[in-house]
Amino acid sequence: MSQPTPRNSHALLDTLFHNTTRLFAFLVLALLMGIMVTLTVASLPALKSFGFHFFVSDEWNPVTQQFGAVVPIFGTVATSVIAMLIGVPVSFGIALFITELCPAWLKRPLGIAIELLAGIPSIIYGMWGLFVFAPWFADHLEPWINDHMSTLPLVGHFFEGPPMGIGMLTAGFILAIMVIPFIASVMRDVFEVVPPMLKESAYGLGSTTWEVVWNVVLPYTKVGVVGGIMLGLGRALGETMAVTFVIGNAHELSMSLLMPGNTISSALANEFTEAVGDLYTSSLITLGMLLFVITFIVLALAKLLLIKLASREGKQS
Amino acid sequence: MSELHLTPPHLMHPEYPQETAMSEAKKIEVKNLNFYYGNFHALKNINMDIPDNRVTAFIGPSGCGKSTLLRTFNRMYQLYPKQVAKGEIILDGENVLDAKQDLNLLRAKVGMVFQKPTPFPMSIYDNIAFGIKLYENLKKTDLNDRVEWALRKAALWNEVKDKLDQSGTSLSGGQQQRLCIARGIAVKPEVLLLDEPCSALDPISTARIEELIHELKTDYTIVIVTHNMQQAARVSDYTAYMYLGELIEFGVTDMMFTKPARRETEDYITGKFG
Repeated sequence: MSQPTPRNSHALLDTLFHNTTRLFAFLVLALLMGIMVTLTVASLPALKSFGFHFFVSDEWNPVTQQFGAVVPIFGTVATSVIAMLIGVPVSFGIALFITELCPAWLKRPLGIAIELLAGIPSIIYGMWGLFVFAPWFADHLEPWINDHMSTLPLVGHFFEGPPMGIGMLTAGFILAIMVIPFIASVMRDVFEVVPPMLKESAYGLGSTTWEVVWNVVLPYTKVGVVGGIMLGLGRALGETMAVTFVIGNAHELSMSLLMPGNTISSALANEFTEAVGDLYTSSLITLGMLLFVITFIVLALAKLLLIKLASREGKQS
Repeated sequence: MSELHLTPPHLMHPEYPQETAMSEAKKIEVKNLNFYYGNFHALKNINMDIPDNRVTAFIGPSGCGKSTLLRTFNRMYQLYPKQVAKGEIILDGENVLDAKQDLNLLRAKVGMVFQKPTPFPMSIYDNIAFGIKLYENLKKTDLNDRVEWALRKAALWNEVKDKLDQSGTSLSGGQQQRLCIARGIAVKPEVLLLDEPCSALDPISTARIEELIHELKTDYTIVIVTHNMQQAARVSDYTAYMYLGELIEFGVTDMMFTKPARRETEDYITGKFG
């Protein structure tokens, strides 16, 4: 009988395991670098030709080969901001109701409904948006917006224009509907892990449910809540199909949110197949890179926000 | 001053006739209280009077209902569905269990401290100021004074006065628990409910909290639930022994621990079971 040598084989397995997991982890970095390099190289022709002008021009003319990114950038940011303005408060309300106020028998059905809503493919949202929501929007909501909101100071210009149904506001609404299940389910999950005793101690001081949630539950779960909002914002920024259906795909800069517009991803989806010539293709790829940059900026801002929020809770000694 | 509702003579241990009850002002009167978790009958017909400005301890084995009883005093149980209390709990002449009772006001009047320290995710200062701001609109200087007062009362001021802007969670466990007590008294409640406040603390922190309880009883009516019989003997003036949802005996602490009126109490206190 030879001496048992289990330790050696364990050590070998451990090394193997260690290296395999490291390989997978580094694969992420390699992919990220690869995509960045590809985008940069492919966008060089457009950047060489237009320079900085590309980022400040609202012209988009395939015939004269003049391209600028302002319209799609504005459309992307505007639709996402609308989606967040509507989506975040609604999601917060949903999560708050489910975790704090809802009778026990209603919790599961509501939770399942949210998950199902999150699972609907975006093309369905797009079709529903175009055939059902947009006409209804044009007939009912937009005339009201015209009448009541276009006279507001400062923001009034956003709400002028013909009630056509399709446009940036409609796209923003559809996006809001699409991001609500994501944000609401993340918020619900993080609200549920708040220790009951922590909530009880806030109730024990005589707080109302709102005061408990606003002052204790939200700060306690801030990382998760911001994460959920970022998940939704990421989806809103990059969403292609549903937006393409309802935004109108017009390369025209308009302050009115009722007018058709364009987002980066809807421009890419619409135009890649018919992009003739290197400059056109390269301009589209530069748009793609811009989306990447916008997403990166948003994530960085979220990190900054979390640091700022943490400092408001007092220094960690 | 009225007679306190202690264990009636006919239930007392025959060998040790209990002396007559002391005359004390009552703060809380519990009358025919029954409590249910769904179908489970957790408290069975509890009758007792909690004296004013005294420390009353609830002892008994796990699951005997002592925490449940405590949580009826500020109706904390009501956060959860299917938990029902029936009977009367009279606090200053008003029935706490009345449906018309304003829960938030009740809880501002009856403070509570829990098994584990539960500092809010905010600075030490804001932890104390939070509860005050809910009910009072104080000037900045008055608010500062009140925060200092509460922290001094909880014997924490000297340790935190230079770092009030630090996070409450950065304190040690014992300090966090004193922070929670300070937070509780900052809103100037009349009753303070302590639910095993030392169960997560080391002996030194426990000793500090016990000292604190001793000092606080001049201003507050304190009810403490504890697993630790020595602790009950050390800090309380009155002790209630509970078993399986029933109040077995309720009396002056010294008497309970030296000459308990009932055999069951004696068995528990002397460690024959439990």
